[in-house]
Amino acid sequence: MVDFVQNTLDGFFIGSSYALLAIGFTLIFGVMRRLNLSYGPSIMLGVFAGTMIYIQLEAGLVFVACATVLGAVLAGIYVERICFWAVGRGAVLASMVSSFAIWMQLEELVTIFFPERTYAFPPLGDFSLEFGPFFIRGAHLVMFLCAAVLTVLLHLLLYKTRFGLALRAVSENPLAAKFMGINTGLVVFSAFALASAIGGVAGFLIASADQQITPLFGLWATFKGLIAMTLGGMGSIPGAIAGGLLLGIIEAQSTWYLGAEYRDLVAYFVLFAFLVFRPGGLFGQRLATQNRLSMQRV
Amino acid sequence: MLEVNDIVTAYGKIEALKGVDLAVSQGQVTCLLGPNGAGKTTLMMTIAGILRPKRGSIRFNGQDIAGKPARMIVEQGIVLVPENRLVFRDMTVEENLMAGAFSRSDGKTVQSDLEAMYERFPHLQERSTQYAGTLSGGEQQMLAISRALMARPRLLLMDEPSLGLAPLIVEDIFRIIRELNDEGMTVFVVEQNARMALQVADHFYLIEQGKVVFDGTPGEMEEDEVIKRAYLGKKI
Amino acid sequence: MDDHLIQVLSNIGMITFIALSAYVLLLTGEISFGQQAFFAISAYASGIATAMWGWSFWLGLLWGAGVAGFAAFLLAWPTLRMRGLYFAIGTLAFAEMVRLIFEVFHYQIEIDGEMVGPNGSEGFRGIRYIFENNISEFQYMMIIYALLASVLVFLFAIERTRVGAIFRMLGEDELLAEMQGVNRTYYKVMATVIAGLIAGIGGALFAHMNTYVEPKIFNVMLGVHSLAYGLIGGLGTAIGPLIGVSLDIGLLESTRMFTGYRMVVFGGLVAILLIFRPRGLLDEEAVHAIRSAWRRKTASSTRVDQAAERN
Repeated sequence: MVDFVQNTLDGFFIGSSYALLAIGFTLIFGVMRRLNLSYGPSIMLGVFAGTMIYIQLEAGLVFVACATVLGAVLAGIYVERICFWAVGRGAVLASMVSSFAIWMQLEELVTIFFPERTYAFPPLGDFSLEFGPFFIRGAHLVMFLCAAVLTVLLHLLLYKTRFGLALRAVSENPLAAKFMGINTGLVVFSAFALASAIGGVAGFLIASADQQITPLFGLWATFKGLIAMTLGGMGSIPGAIAGGLLLGIIEAQSTWYLGAEYRDLVAYFVLFAFLVFRPGGLFGQRLATQNRLSMQRV
Repeated sequence: MLEVNDIVTAYGKIEALKGVDLAVSQGQVTCLLGPNGAGKTTLMMTIAGILRPKRGSIRFNGQDIAGKPARMIVEQGIVLVPENRLVFRDMTVEENLMAGAFSRSDGKTVQSDLEAMYERFPHLQERSTQYAGTLSGGEQQMLAISRALMARPRLLLMDEPSLGLAPLIVEDIFRIIRELNDEGMTVFVVEQNARMALQVADHFYLIEQGKVVFDGTPGEMEEDEVIKRAYLGKKI
Repeated sequence: MDDHLIQVLSNIGMITFIALSAYVLLLTGEISFGQQAFFAISAYASGIATAMWGWSFWLGLLWGAGVAGFAAFLLAWPTLRMRGLYFAIGTLAFAEMVRLIFEVFHYQIEIDGEMVGPNGSEGFRGIRYIFENNISEFQYMMIIYALLASVLVFLFAIERTRVGAIFRMLGEDELLAEMQGVNRTYYKVMATVIAGLIAGIGGALFAHMNTYVEPKIFNVMLGVHSLAYGLIGGLGTAIGPLIGVSLDIGLLESTRMFTGYRMVVFGGLVAILLIFRPRGLLDEEAVHAIRSAWRRKTASSTRVDQAAERN
């Protein structure tokens, strides 16, 4: 029983970083209805920018964080312009494949400039808390708190500001948003930048908790974001959070009870099961979104 | 107020509008009739800035607006109530109305407009925190109209406001159009329901297969035998 | 023929199978990120057949493709109700599950004192049928292309018949197709199985040429690549995927000057291409234009012939 609860705690905290990744992925998906396969790699570029100033300039934690977020945002803007803005509204498959092509490009860029297998990243906090039989890593706690604060800020942005209203309008129906005089191109661009910034924070927290970063991060992050988003309900932010937490817990439990080699297998199995029986995800997507997603032409 | 000259709009190689000429006079209700596929919605979308015409001009109070993006058209004061309402179903009634006012920068007058809208449509006030997707068809149409009004338009475009609504609600809609017009609003409405349109419109156009084939007053329309049979039924 | 050239051409041929597999599903309007699963299943199944059960190459190939096709049939049902992006993610999940299952799949028997067979993440060595039976690399390449040509002929034939038209109808507008009486279930399952079989043929060929497979090979990258090839070459015709594969492997492989930043160049080129031609080089419009031009040319030459005959 103790193990189960401990695993749930561990999974919950790791899941909070997955939730951040999923939120970023969802923001982009929400305004565009496409999968951005370059999401992880663009965040990775930011994290490597952070590691670079950490190693070369021995910069402090705050500077590394800023560099990470800035790098992720710049890379994200690059992806948005080439893969989504330039390709245009109708071609769903073309923009997704284009994001795949740029994914390959970004990954190779990273390995060219950072050829080692792994690079150091400044730690978040080397302490840990114990209460009763349970124990929480300090880095995980910081990760969770940052994610929680960021989520609250995002909620305020989306529901209490004019920009948030515009973003939600474009997410639901870009055509109707145009009729209101909303500049949909600008909203999409901003959503992308915002999603990249959130992703940058997530990348920073994850790399910091691991105290290292490897070039495998790009693919890994895209997948975590994608799986968590789908589990929670595509296009829903509360869903992304729930999906991320759930994914973290599933991973922790299956690693403990079945072994590390079964961890991802279980996660994919759960994902597949959701897609068969409950494609709307945990939060049961709003009907408008589900219908539109299934009617899309390739 | 609005002059459309020789507008040609195409989808790829297919021309949906083959040279449309019409004019909307200030303070009047102008109605565009026509069968399905004639190009009514295409024309509305072209005026609203969603579609770009291949040829022709659209002048609004003297200024050429053809081909300009939608948000600039809204800034000029032309607002469209789209076909099928297109309310934001996952947003509340109030959020929909605030979205309608997006193009305006004056926060205080937006607030007072919101209150005025609630007074005109008390049903909407009752449901202000409800999700727009839960409203009935007629209520959604009221919401779509008030949402458009929140942008303080000088010219209101309406694309088939009676579509899919029960006859009683349709009467309400047209009553609102008449009220708005009495208050000075210029309205350009696309309709299939000719009979109801006859009760409010000051001027008629008929479009078929991308071209305007009739341009005249309600009286002239009632005298035209072809139109009578096609659009008004055998009895008048 | 140069050895290296043979290898490059063989690779192009084999990878085209999985590209065609993704293409078939794209015709019906479905994006699949998971065709590499069937490639993998057939690679393992055919390898087991020839290296462990002593079957002949052709039997092994049939068996591998068959198992892949059957797996596709099984997958078709739970994914039937998944549409659009859900289907894409579902196939991705399935393919990753297959890969991860192979990571823990152990099946070995002793042959001549050695343990032979799939050994989890260490892979499956010793699929040596081709070499033990003295089939040269050139001959093998011919086998690959013979099979590829047959598959292409098969696909061209489909495109000309009702089945092909129905596939494209489903791809354009499923709802409309169903309203016209098309049995969506029947045709979707058919497309999935055909796609699985085609990928299966490629997988068996791959396993025997490489003599060694490991789960890592059959990852998402392979899957998205195969989708991309079809899109680059053009979705208007079955030759499209072949063109896409040739461009990637052929062009980039032989231009060694790009080693180290090959993907930077290629990725950028693909992205730029998709801006201008979102449905590929030989997209439906281009194919239609080529066909009309060809028809006009043959029609006018017929008239010239007829005129000449009269005189």
